[in-house]
Amino acid sequence: MSARLSNLFAALVFLSMIAALYAVFFYVPTERTMGLVQRIFYFHVPAAISAFLAFFIVFVASIQYLRTQEMKWDRLALSAAELGVLFGLIVLITGPIWARPIWGVYWRWEPRLTSMLILFSMYVAYLMVRSYGTSSARTPRLASVLGILAFVNVPLVYYSVNLWAAEQQLHPQKIALDPPMKYTLYICYAAFFLFFLFLLQRRLELEKAADALTDLQQQLSDD
Amino acid sequence: MSFFSRTLAILRKDLLAEWRTKERLSPMVFFVLLTLLVFNFSFELGGAALHEIGPGVLWSAFVFASLLGLNRSFVDERENGCLDGLLLAPGDRSAVYMGKMLGNLLFLLAVELISLPFFTLFFNLSPGPFLLPLLGLFLLGSASLASVGTLFAAMSSNMRLRELLLPLLLLPMVMPALISCVEATALVLKGDELARIAPYLQILAVFVVVFTTLSLLLFEHVIEE
Repeated sequence: MSARLSNLFAALVFLSMIAALYAVFFYVPTERTMGLVQRIFYFHVPAAISAFLAFFIVFVASIQYLRTQEMKWDRLALSAAELGVLFGLIVLITGPIWARPIWGVYWRWEPRLTSMLILFSMYVAYLMVRSYGTSSARTPRLASVLGILAFVNVPLVYYSVNLWAAEQQLHPQKIALDPPMKYTLYICYAAFFLFFLFLLQRRLELEKAADALTDLQQQLSDD
Repeated sequence: MSFFSRTLAILRKDLLAEWRTKERLSPMVFFVLLTLLVFNFSFELGGAALHEIGPGVLWSAFVFASLLGLNRSFVDERENGCLDGLLLAPGDRSAVYMGKMLGNLLFLLAVELISLPFFTLFFNLSPGPFLLPLLGLFLLGSASLASVGTLFAAMSSNMRLRELLLPLLLLPMVMPALISCVEATALVLKGDELARIAPYLQILAVFVVVFTTLSLLLFEHVIEE
């Protein structure tokens, strides 16, 4: 992406974030029973969805890397995994902030919290393998295998954790939202999605530059 | 040689090596006993809490012991270039995975069977009708650990910090299997109707099938130099 287009995109992300903040703090009415703290929901849910989107991208990029051996897929997998961990962390931080006044405790071993924590730790392990694991030539292949296994494990984790703690379920399975709340949530989805794409694109470019630099150093030391 | 006979050849080699050295079984069993000892002091296990904590203690001990065994399964092959030899053999390399996986499964089962009497003895369980379903559970649980465990062992044997990375990879990954094993063991020890165990057995069976298949497909990528 050219620098100008990239800046334009950045401006768009900035505006959508402002719009999301405005909607969350000024436009949307305060929820009756939970009060102010409920507003964190508008960040919590989009962050969770972005995290899953990131994990899915890791999965697809990993398969593509093993099929084609092209470095661009490996860069995509790495960048998406980092974002998945980042957004997962946002989910795991905003959740307890909300839970303390509503549930009375920061943490409960409730199905969704537990599943999110397990998934989060799988992708932290993925990043650890990438940074501490191996010589650079083998890393993409090992990481791809891991990226595939981790994503395939997602339904198994959900199913088993739900079975294990069914009576602990505290997340609403279906929420009926008032129109202003619904619109606010949509704005936040859009803002988070754009933000996600923006970070992904910047991260990819950084990784590409790093690869190019490594290649140049290689050539110099060969001469 | 067919896939099957190559798998058996690798399995036979691993079992024979273990039979001669006993390098893996005895430390693993001893480690399980030590873990039970440690948990005993942390939780006062002899008392009424046994049925609530016992299954978790048992499976934690097995999982940690499995890490010890899995670490050895490919690291040993590094000596004298054994792994290169195995990989140079013509034919499908996933047979190496299958043989090793079955070997790890058998080692783990052996460790579990040897340490089960100690578990019942230490925690005052009288042997009873729970033994039979428990054996089935041991088989499925060990197969789950061995399926991803063998692939990750192959992966981490090539890495820097390998002993450190294997648990980091394996533990979050086997969580569905671990949850199922612990819950099903608790149901068995309580003597509940066995129908309630079925969903956990299903998860374990799916886990084993899915991850063994995936590992067979992906092993080539992991082991390639």
